[in-house]
Amino acid sequence: MKPNLYQPINSKIVDIVDESPTIKSYIVVPEKEFKFETGQFVELTLPGEGEAPFTPSSSPTDTEKMEITIMKAGRVTGLLHQCKKGQKLGIRGPYGNGYPIEDFVGKEVYIVGGGVGLAPIRSLFLTLVNRIKDFKSVVCRYGARTPEDFIFKKTLFGSWQKITGVDMRLTVDEANGQWKGNVGVVTTILEPDDVEVKNAVAVVCGPPIMMKFTTLKLLEFGFAGKDIYLSMEKNMSCGFGKCGHCMIGKFYVCKDGPVFTYDQIKGYPKIWD
Amino acid sequence: METVFISDLKPFLDTVAGQMDLYVPKKTGQGSRGAGSQHYVFVKYDQSGQAPVEFNNIRACMPVKEFLFPLRELAAVFPEPFEPEEIKPFALFGLKDCDLRSLECLDQVFLEKDFEDPFYIARREKMFIISSDCFKPGESCFCSVLDGKPYPDRGFDLNIAQVTDGYIIEIGSQKGKEFIDRNCELFTEPGDDALAQRDRIRADTAEQLEKNNVELKFDTPIRDMMTETYESDVYDIEAKTCVECQACTRVCPTCHCFYLYDTKQQDYFAKMKMWDSCMRLAYAQVAGGANPRKILGDRLRHRLMHKFVYFLDRYGLQMCIGCGRCVDAEAGDIDIRAVLKKLNEEFKNTKVAR
Repeated sequence: MKPNLYQPINSKIVDIVDESPTIKSYIVVPEKEFKFETGQFVELTLPGEGEAPFTPSSSPTDTEKMEITIMKAGRVTGLLHQCKKGQKLGIRGPYGNGYPIEDFVGKEVYIVGGGVGLAPIRSLFLTLVNRIKDFKSVVCRYGARTPEDFIFKKTLFGSWQKITGVDMRLTVDEANGQWKGNVGVVTTILEPDDVEVKNAVAVVCGPPIMMKFTTLKLLEFGFAGKDIYLSMEKNMSCGFGKCGHCMIGKFYVCKDGPVFTYDQIKGYPKIWD
Repeated sequence: METVFISDLKPFLDTVAGQMDLYVPKKTGQGSRGAGSQHYVFVKYDQSGQAPVEFNNIRACMPVKEFLFPLRELAAVFPEPFEPEEIKPFALFGLKDCDLRSLECLDQVFLEKDFEDPFYIARREKMFIISSDCFKPGESCFCSVLDGKPYPDRGFDLNIAQVTDGYIIEIGSQKGKEFIDRNCELFTEPGDDALAQRDRIRADTAEQLEKNNVELKFDTPIRDMMTETYESDVYDIEAKTCVECQACTRVCPTCHCFYLYDTKQQDYFAKMKMWDSCMRLAYAQVAGGANPRKILGDRLRHRLMHKFVYFLDRYGLQMCIGCGRCVDAEAGDIDIRAVLKKLNEEFKNTKVAR
């Protein structure tokens, strides 16, 4: 028989990090070698319960283990949140395209993230930072609902702020007593002179509504649709363009994406729904 | 194409059944479209031969896909290893040109290079196709509009046409040729009269189909017409009678959406693969609740755009073959032909308006 596309690789949770009240990161070790490119996604199976797509939040250069950051959103993610260290999981993939890093070389990379959307962006960020001299700069704008909802807090407020070539700004939708930064959705911290639009690419990942308004803002700044990279979230099930659930027009998000330029998909209605 | 002749179907079918599992069409009463419409399902051939096998005039109401891609199947197990059931050779008698073209669509999806579905391949390789000519087209048959014909010219191992004194068998593949050679005592040469009669029946049936579907002959290719009328409210209007029974996607021989789900068995975990339908509300919904096609009309639009535009753009084939099964199965009142006609009217009117 041909290799079975549907068979996950046995894996194990070796550590769990509480990121926020609704988000946890799982350090997962697959039994077999598992390589991915930043931006690609995997299908994670909780045996007997269900499967869901996630983009790893760790760097692809770490081939021993993988980090998957999961927000409690539905049935499967709810059950995953109850898992303990040692839990066996299945992993299929990686699927889809990654971020076209080579096309970013020499340019300013303008990264805009919201909520758990920072998870795939962290993988991208680590990849870029690993060879930071290849890029003109990495400009990050990231928003969370409240200060508690930031994920990767330790590095986000620590080492990432100090990397030469990185410009990071954060915001929250609602502040509390300790928060001294900006209050407002992420589009309120996007400024026309954050990057030199002509020599920049933008990467957007977050909830649909945030992606929509960020894209509109970027277009207003003069970004061309071909330079705006969107990580689309659809109901990816099989991962290889057969089962049909994730289609946007003729595209299978799982196979032709999940990273699309705005130009590729702007012709289809309800892409943000 | 090389042809042979048999005067009786039974010895031929007995021979096939002696070498592999054979499934044949069986009439189960009238179709939903009233007098003259036939309703066939595939049943395992009964060699004791009490009831003669029907030579079906049109396709069965069941799609071929279920022989290759069953309603529900085991796709993976934990822990490994997984020993899938061994597929034995099997034959289908009475597939029509539309059925064969539906296989071309499914092959594009399930045999796609580097992403071959191992279960589909295993069954596809073991399938022996004995197709046959159509006669007396059904009320819902509209294959002629979508480049189909009432007789196959490719995609079969053997194809059978019925004439007055017997049956003409065309050989369409190496596998078919080997079967004929292996059982050569069954066959004779067809006479010129028989061949001429077959060609006459073919021409008459084709003409009948053309006549039945003259209103569906559009000036503009369906792909272009549908792209232009994407925003049309025809979909919302037509979807009003939909009762979401999903019968259209079940019986459609090219619909191939499926759904993966996990279950607990006694001593292992299983990942199952089951047919799904894009007409289902939660089909495209994500865990966060977002759903690009909450509205029924949007789902109907997506289904038909996939058939006539997206699949064509991706694989170079239309994913509707005009078999009319969805028209027959429909519990509401959506007729794909009527939708196309309305869209085409709208297309023509907007063109004039410009």
